[in-house]
Amino acid sequence: MSRTYAVAAVAAVVLATVLVGGFGLRISRTTSDFYVASRTVRPRLNAAAISGEYLSAASFLGIAGLVLVHGPDMLWYPVGYTAGYLVLLVFVAAPLRRSGAYTLPDFAEGRLESRQVRRLVSVLVVGAGWLYLVPQLQGAGLTLKILTGAPGWLGDVLVASVVVLAVAAGGMRSITFVQVFQYWLKLTALLVPAIFLVLAWQGDGRPRVTFDEQLSVFRADHPLYATYGLIVATFLGTMGLPHVVVRFYTSPNGRDARRTTVAVLALIGVFYLLPPVYGALGRLYAPELIHGGDADAAVLLLPARVIGGLGGDLLGALIAGGAFAAFLSTASGLTMAVAGVITQDVLPSRGVRHFRLATVLAISVPLAGSLIVSRVPVADSVGMAFAVSASSFCPLLVLGIWWRRLTPPGAVAGLVLGGGSALLSVAITVSGAVRPPGWPHALLAWPAVWSVPVGFLAMILVSLATPGRIPAGTNAAMTRFHLPEALTTGRHR
Amino acid sequence: MTGAGYAVIVLLALLLFGGGLLTGRRTARPVRTSDVGTPVEHATFETLHTASLAAPPLRAGLTEESARRASRRLRSLLGTDALCLTDRDRILVWDGEGDHHGRHIMDQVQGVLATGRDTAFRSECDDLDCPLRWAVAVPLTVDHRVLGTLIAYAPRESAVLARAAGEVARWVCVQLELAELDRSRTQLIEAEIRALRAQISPHFIFNSLAAIASFVRTDPEQARELLLEFADFTRYSFRSHGDFTTLADELHSIDQYLALVRARFGERLSVTLQVAPEVLPVALPFLCLQPLVENAVKHGLEGAVTSSRITISALDAGSEAEVVIEDDGTGMDPERLRHILRGEGGKSTGIGLLNVDERLRQVYGDDYGLVIETGIGAGMRITVRLPKYRAGVHGS
Amino acid sequence: MRPLPRYRTQSEIDEQTALGGAYVRSLMRSQLRAGLTAFTGLAVVVGTLPLVFEALHSSAVVWGVLGFAAYPPLTLLAWWYVRRAERNERDFARLVEGRSAQ
Repeated sequence: MSRTYAVAAVAAVVLATVLVGGFGLRISRTTSDFYVASRTVRPRLNAAAISGEYLSAASFLGIAGLVLVHGPDMLWYPVGYTAGYLVLLVFVAAPLRRSGAYTLPDFAEGRLESRQVRRLVSVLVVGAGWLYLVPQLQGAGLTLKILTGAPGWLGDVLVASVVVLAVAAGGMRSITFVQVFQYWLKLTALLVPAIFLVLAWQGDGRPRVTFDEQLSVFRADHPLYATYGLIVATFLGTMGLPHVVVRFYTSPNGRDARRTTVAVLALIGVFYLLPPVYGALGRLYAPELIHGGDADAAVLLLPARVIGGLGGDLLGALIAGGAFAAFLSTASGLTMAVAGVITQDVLPSRGVRHFRLATVLAISVPLAGSLIVSRVPVADSVGMAFAVSASSFCPLLVLGIWWRRLTPPGAVAGLVLGGGSALLSVAITVSGAVRPPGWPHALLAWPAVWSVPVGFLAMILVSLATPGRIPAGTNAAMTRFHLPEALTTGRHR
Repeated sequence: MTGAGYAVIVLLALLLFGGGLLTGRRTARPVRTSDVGTPVEHATFETLHTASLAAPPLRAGLTEESARRASRRLRSLLGTDALCLTDRDRILVWDGEGDHHGRHIMDQVQGVLATGRDTAFRSECDDLDCPLRWAVAVPLTVDHRVLGTLIAYAPRESAVLARAAGEVARWVCVQLELAELDRSRTQLIEAEIRALRAQISPHFIFNSLAAIASFVRTDPEQARELLLEFADFTRYSFRSHGDFTTLADELHSIDQYLALVRARFGERLSVTLQVAPEVLPVALPFLCLQPLVENAVKHGLEGAVTSSRITISALDAGSEAEVVIEDDGTGMDPERLRHILRGEGGKSTGIGLLNVDERLRQVYGDDYGLVIETGIGAGMRITVRLPKYRAGVHGS
Repeated sequence: MRPLPRYRTQSEIDEQTALGGAYVRSLMRSQLRAGLTAFTGLAVVVGTLPLVFEALHSSAVVWGVLGFAAYPPLTLLAWWYVRRAERNERDFARLVEGRSAQ
């Protein structure tokens, strides 16, 4: 019975996550490996951790589902998710690390010396984080429903509780090794079944996969515009995602942050070769999903459909475990990042207990959202979080790092007009107030094309209009952001 | 109308008068503390406000710059035509008209500087139109030392000005005393860091070198390695730049320190380290964990204890890192510890703990002091919380 | 055991004098140029691809380009940028330290 295997796989993944999180510390008992234990994280290890946290339900299930339903145009999603790291690399990675900021509000405060901007950024970070968390929880609900027939809300609640228990009970004392473990687990969980599926497909006489336009469901009545909206959002949005920013803090310096980013590009690039295979095979072996909704389930269903028997069950269980790893890693990373911002900027006083309270707060709101809001395809709602990030945090980071004349009022204007309008568009789209077809819906569903320029322009123009408000420490901040480590440490070790 | 009638009328009139008087007094009372303030109150507010504006420059001490910035406020406090501030040798600022008086002024205030007593004198001025005919000079004293004088000018003799100048001078003195206090507090902390670094040296350096020397014959390779550790450790401890470091560097230095300690105590001391690698880049005040480890080593190996175990852990707690240093040594009476942390423990005991506690509070605020759990014979557990980011704290 | 001596130009930078500012700005310009080169390359290719796909109307091409061919160039471009940025930084460090050798 496949259900048993799947439940066992999910349970194993949850258990392993908690164990690695709680005990995955570097421990040394002799002085000789004391040095090894206190050595900072190497770029490759950190890159695996970042990739593990980044590859979410949208990547694991969502892309294959979208390709299955809408055809290969949807492959812009994985390309955008990857290319976002290139943009992050060339404009942000090293200076952000050198700024010493742990979260985006830290960066805003350090660069602009303004508590007001800090608070505004905190609000947006929490908003974007919640927007990103909702589909993770919904994906978990869907997965559990398909695997075990459990009611849809159970998976949402399960993932949320595991995250709260692991993080709030002090279980995630070291999240780096958890995320590294999750990356390799996710890659294995997609790669091994994919090999068997392709072999089975060859054994089947290699039926041709067709992406006939008649078969594809049109997703937007302005597909070209939607494609560009997607490209802008994912390319520019990655740099501002709260859980991505937080992980760059683990790099010991700016140079390692750059090298880490290149490794991330390679690692997630390898991973993204796999979901399209599932999408294409889904066309052949699960065509009813094209019109039947729940296309996100394609990856989970394929092994049983194509291979069947015990082998199919085992491979299905492996995929289920990988999917749960995806929900858990992204959800716990995001929850910790959002909870960090809540402890610092929302709750009055600080302390470990407050961090636990913040964790509960950080995940209970999106949990409520996931239970109330109707199910939007996972990759779509993740795209919305990217749009918000691209229109607010991207201008803040890029201008903050490269432009000396940025002022606090300019930053506020850009964040409010760019990020605010994107957030509003997303809210209107999710509420269903404006429905397709027509330009209004297209503009609101893919806002990045216009909201990113709005954010940049507002920031630049208002900054130019308030030249007296340029922070006093701008030059010092710029020096810190860009000076190579060899010159700042003053000693060569 | 009868007599009784008159009596009633008189009584009523009296009642009316009495009532009127009472209500009058009652309504009259609030007028004195009216919601918008009386002229006297306004004058008080204005004086307080002017004084508050003059205070910040003076908190930098008595310099030409601070005197220049404060003098205008001080003159409007006194309401004089001209005001002069001097230090012991020269005029710092002349505010107002008639600065040709400045030529003789240092001679005229010699007496004030020498005796520290207020003096009044006629300004010997050849210019008949000059309105400044009389002056009062008041000393500015801090700790019984005369730092300078305040001289106020007036057209004619004025006891009011003499009194006012005295009061303003006393107020300036209080500000200067506070400035001195600020300066000595920073000096004290700097001196303590220096002392802390110096404190590492005498006995520790001697013991380490003795231990290294004992290896020179038996195990030259080990001796060479220890010597390198020693060089590295002292280089870190005595480095001159930067107030902040990273957790990775601090732990590295602790590692070297422990290697040297173990060279001496060998198997008697066992150390366990648990590190969440994501907190290693956290910036923190320089040398603020090493004294805690040193404290743990001292407690662990004190007295008749044969062996000791020290655990150092650095864990991730969201936006903070949590460092815990634990030993199973002799511990301490909580009451005595409280004394030490209040700075009443005397010179020799726990200067390290007190200094670390103070520096953490100074950098991160009072929420981030040391948390110490201990009891006699129960070992000691010190918890340090470090925010991952704090404006102005950058490890280098 | 003293820390290494700090170089003259470096103290200009540390103290944020006009000269130090000029040094930092020149470093920023060279780094921004490297970043913009990489970004422009990416933007030109990615900006035109949807139009090309629209014109070709062939799902096999879309499949091949986006599903497989896109990732190696992205990684190579990133690798090129990192080498260029690190070289800029090395050159800058040499520039700053070299002055003190006079």
